[in-house]
Amino acid sequence: MKIAGIIGGILLLIIALVILPRINNVPKLDENVNMYASQLDNQYKRRSDLIPNLVATVKGYASHEKDVLTQVTEARAKVGQMTLTPEVLNNPEAFKAYQNAQDGLSSALSRLMMVTENYPELKANENFLNLQAQLEGTENRIAVARKDYIEAVKEYNLELRTVPGKWVAALLYPEAKTKQNFTATAAESATPKVSF
Amino acid sequence: MKLLKSIVLLVLFAITILFSAPKFPEQNNSRVVDNAGLFNAYQRIDLEKRLAAHETNTSNQVVVVTLNSLEGYDIADYGYQLGRHWGIGQKDKNNGVLLIVAPNERKVRIEVGYGLEGVLPDATANSIIQYEILPFFKTGNYYDGVNSGIKSILEAIKGEYKPASSDNKDLPMGLLLFPLLFIALMFIGAISNAQGSKKRIVPAVVSGGIAGVVSWMMFFILGLSVFLTIAVFLLTLLGSSSSGNGSNYYSSGSDSSSSDFGGFSGGGFSGGGGSFGGGGASGSW
Repeated sequence: MKIAGIIGGILLLIIALVILPRINNVPKLDENVNMYASQLDNQYKRRSDLIPNLVATVKGYASHEKDVLTQVTEARAKVGQMTLTPEVLNNPEAFKAYQNAQDGLSSALSRLMMVTENYPELKANENFLNLQAQLEGTENRIAVARKDYIEAVKEYNLELRTVPGKWVAALLYPEAKTKQNFTATAAESATPKVSF
Repeated sequence: MKLLKSIVLLVLFAITILFSAPKFPEQNNSRVVDNAGLFNAYQRIDLEKRLAAHETNTSNQVVVVTLNSLEGYDIADYGYQLGRHWGIGQKDKNNGVLLIVAPNERKVRIEVGYGLEGVLPDATANSIIQYEILPFFKTGNYYDGVNSGIKSILEAIKGEYKPASSDNKDLPMGLLLFPLLFIALMFIGAISNAQGSKKRIVPAVVSGGIAGVVSWMMFFILGLSVFLTIAVFLLTLLGSSSSGNGSNYYSSGSDSSSSDFGGFSGGGFSGGGGSFGGGGASGSW
């Protein structure tokens, strides 16, 4: 009788040791993903905030490049309507739409920067050089934030899909679903770098 | 079997490609890591001294690093990872700056930690590179370029942070509660021994409960508290009556818990753990 109790206790202990430390992992990693998502969203917003100034400056020197300028403005308007909320993270279509809109803005911007190469006066403008540096820095931050986000989602999805975490999630967090991650598009492998 | 093995290898390979980080040089708590050998001993010591003095005054950590190779990485990509790897800047302020020079790729970058992005924005970093650093680098004068770049960087960031004051914060609650817990458990253990093994269930519940509540107050980690509750409960219940005053298992418990407080460390290169988010600017010549 006593031996059975001891064995039961040891078993309980082992289960407690394996499961209990991970009991909060799902919500923790979930919050982690949300945090990185809003950081990424912030950086995208910051890029979109730079655009009016940039467009105005470029217009001053290259007003007949209307096509490219409109493309950028339109792409920005599209992006402006979207936010990377937790709901979006769980919704494949909304996530895809977000990604597409941001990618659209990226490529429009890189076309704009390519066009500016043809205007030496613009390239000597102090204001434009500052904006260019800011844009480059922001693109860079976006790349970093994206990478961090991808890592966070990978961790979260792994927790939901591998064993002790899977059990915990099935017991305590049945509503938890794996989250959407970025796919490296062809456009991304040929990163639109703002070149000097 | 062979197929399985090759699949596993392939997956591992893919993972290393996707999430590979460059091989970083050793920092060794130095503020001037001159792997490319651009400075002579006198220049290195001079730079080191100025950066150390700046850290003493402001707690900002500025590190100069010269690299033989970027290993095919973009300097911006390499830079923020290096900054995170070394943990330049104080953990709570993220106030580190890296000045990275890669003479073979002819690239230079100022990598700015999160906490200094306000005083050293990308545009400022860019103009420091364009007007203070590159003119010297173009003539092959690396030390003068780094020197004037560092001067401008320090000038820009000097007002942002004060060094941490030397007086310590109050002792954490847990440190005070722990001895209380220990004494309470000793006391209950003694009672339970005095009463004999049959009536252990009540002290077991009580001491288990105390352990759980106190550890909850200390750590706010549900798993740990529940675990401690169960562990203390079982140990009190099943502890053999021959074990004297029963304090031996409590003391072993205190060992494992006290390791949680062992994280204090110091060193000449203070703090560390600052993070980077890709702020800064790059240039090439």
